[in-house]
Amino acid sequence: MSAVQKRSTVGQDVKFERIRRITGYLVGTMDKWNDAKRAEEHDRVKHGMGCGC
Amino acid sequence: MAKGTVKTIVKRDGRVAIYDEKKIASAVLKALIADGKDDPVVAARIANAVGESLAGLDSEAPPTIEKIQDAVETELMREGYEEAAKKYIIYRANRTRIRESKTSLMKAIDEITNVDARNSDMKRDNANIDGNTSMGSMLQIGTAGAKAYNAAYLLKPEQAAAHREGNIHIHDFDFYALTTTCCQIDIIRLFKGGFSTGHGFLREPQSIASYAALAAIAIQSNQNDQHGGQSIPNFDYAMALGVAKTFKKLYARKLTESYEDVTSLDEQGEFIDSVIAEIKAEKNLFPRLEIDAEALDAAVAEKLVATGKVDAQQAIHLIASARRRATRDTDRQTYQAMEGFVHNLNTMHSRAGAQTPFSSINYGTDTTPEGRMAIRNILLAEDAGLGHGETPIFPIHIFKVKEGVNYNPGDPNYDLFKLSCKVSAKRLFPNYVFLDSPFNLQYYKPGHPETEVATMGCRTRVMGNTYDPTREISYSRGNLSFTSINLPRIALETKGDEKAFYDLLDERMELVAQQLLDRFEIQASKRVYNFPFLMGQGVWLDSDTLGPNDEVREVLKHGTLSIGFIGLAETLTALYGHHHGESDEMEQKGLEIVQHMRDYCDRKSREYQMNFSLLATPAEGLSGRFIRMDRKRFGEIAGVTDKDYYTNSFHVPVWYPIPAFDKIRKEAPFHALTNAGHISYVELDGDTANNVEAFESVVRCMHDAGIGYGSINHPVDRDPVCGYVGVIGDVCPRCGRRDGEALSEEQIAELRKKYPNVPSFVGLE
Repeated sequence: MSAVQKRSTVGQDVKFERIRRITGYLVGTMDKWNDAKRAEEHDRVKHGMGCGC
Repeated sequence: MAKGTVKTIVKRDGRVAIYDEKKIASAVLKALIADGKDDPVVAARIANAVGESLAGLDSEAPPTIEKIQDAVETELMREGYEEAAKKYIIYRANRTRIRESKTSLMKAIDEITNVDARNSDMKRDNANIDGNTSMGSMLQIGTAGAKAYNAAYLLKPEQAAAHREGNIHIHDFDFYALTTTCCQIDIIRLFKGGFSTGHGFLREPQSIASYAALAAIAIQSNQNDQHGGQSIPNFDYAMALGVAKTFKKLYARKLTESYEDVTSLDEQGEFIDSVIAEIKAEKNLFPRLEIDAEALDAAVAEKLVATGKVDAQQAIHLIASARRRATRDTDRQTYQAMEGFVHNLNTMHSRAGAQTPFSSINYGTDTTPEGRMAIRNILLAEDAGLGHGETPIFPIHIFKVKEGVNYNPGDPNYDLFKLSCKVSAKRLFPNYVFLDSPFNLQYYKPGHPETEVATMGCRTRVMGNTYDPTREISYSRGNLSFTSINLPRIALETKGDEKAFYDLLDERMELVAQQLLDRFEIQASKRVYNFPFLMGQGVWLDSDTLGPNDEVREVLKHGTLSIGFIGLAETLTALYGHHHGESDEMEQKGLEIVQHMRDYCDRKSREYQMNFSLLATPAEGLSGRFIRMDRKRFGEIAGVTDKDYYTNSFHVPVWYPIPAFDKIRKEAPFHALTNAGHISYVELDGDTANNVEAFESVVRCMHDAGIGYGSINHPVDRDPVCGYVGVIGDVCPRCGRRDGEALSEEQIAELRKKYPNVPSFVGLE
């Protein structure tokens, strides 16, 4: 990439941060979590607001 | 002087074996061949000489391998085969290195040193440690060494076996010989009169900025004495003192400035200070936010008018301005202090391994104007986030919900409860502790914040006190250690036999209780000087009654010894075929199991007059460890071992579809039983979370169901390029880019005009 081209792009390869909570702690990337917690996070379903309380 | 011939040798593992000269000849021949001299006759002759040399050794014991190899080297050289001897020495050194590297400790260190953390599950055992950095790696090496030593020398054989085989898991095993888990730091008590962190004395703080700065320092200092998290149970009550001191100063300053403006006099500061001092002495009134404001301002007006330099109207006006400005500036300074506090706790890498300390703060019940100002501003600071609007990772915020204080419309802090929901719906904090749940309410005494249940962010709860029933408080106490039981394994081992299950459960609990007591023995024998801050500065309950060389045994007993568990859902499935999310019958069975464990803990507490408690274990690395071993041993069993993780504590499995309110109601009864700590999570999709009413209704459902500690998860995404915070699917709603795509400079400039929080990038021309 030429210097001109390089200067005019911002954010190449920059990923979105996805904050998730694991064992009570927040983390912006799943990269640092062990395999078991990553698998668990992957399996999580959402809980609907169906029935009244 | 031959003493006869060598008959036996001692191998490396200590076993005695028959001496075999042929083996020596073979090794010598290999060395000769390596030197290009394939000569079996020479080899045999040298082997013979080795045998004679060993027989001539001045010792009764049979020669060791090392001695034999020494003799081979010597004989090779004596016969003139120096090169062959060199080859032999090098070969021997390599063998030694290989042998040592085969030990698991060395293997572990090799993995720590050389493998990228992304490829090493072991290096990601604790997500707070960056295993790719030098400090992170050094900590992990220390951990590996300590664990090896502790397992070899500090555990009884049955405990080591149980831990190794995965029947139990001893948490923070690396710190076994060294310290305790965590503490609720009463910073009001710590700050009073000032304190020290090792070198130099820190005076009692005199402004909200100092209160906030020292709070961060207190967490950091205490973190160095313990292996677990650090929490402040009375954050609002403590910051309120700082707010009050700042307001007092600002009131005097603003009043001085107003008075100088109106009278055109200079240097009226001393005069104003004397006016305020006189009013304090005469009427016991002093400048405070809101409280006694009318009375104080009227008294000041009277004094000012008495000087003859201002009339009544001028006095009232200038005092009102002063109070207004002082209030506004106090609020600003409080906000900045809270912002600095949050930033600090995300950026100080002062815990071993270059980690940021695990910090938590509890607040919500201080209804004084100062406390309210602190609560509002810590929430607003959390809402604003870090430098580029990032969601802060620390501290964990816990909002204490209490009827009559903040829960219902009309309650003094109801507005702050509403604000907390708005902030949590965006930032995932605060979490909620419910003081009205019966097991928490039993301790609560209005006007005594130390009786309000506070929690460590991870969920640890220390409230009841069998050791000292007069001190059932949260302040200055914490957990000593915890060990978890592999509950699903017990079900698998007993093959669905309920009676056998409970019998084996009892056996395992007995083992764990004994192990907790053994670990306590080590902790109890430590001295105050082993905990320079935690004990030396009086942070732990009653440690201020001890001298530096005293044993900490008695004061440690205020802490908890916790028996934990994992995988109730898989346990029920293994025993009965279904988990508790699926039916009321299974819910009952689950409660029976957990009640049984709780009863055991209560019995042990009475027996030993210590605080045994039942924990719904947080489980980071543990969730995978147990199930991996169980799958290996028992095979893949549907609903039990067919995943990569066991379900946390008593939770309904994360993959099981269930409405939010039902999950809450299923889990709430378990909170009452797990007095060492518990939490329930609800996963909401992004849309619901941006509907604050919906968010609040979930919190209210938790309150009504008797939840002790609850947390609501929802996706919080951020685009680092344009700064958008919210829910991002495939495309960023603000700038339209996809994951990994670039924008042009012009696009960024356009966005910045519309959205002030678009980040700027270093190195952009």
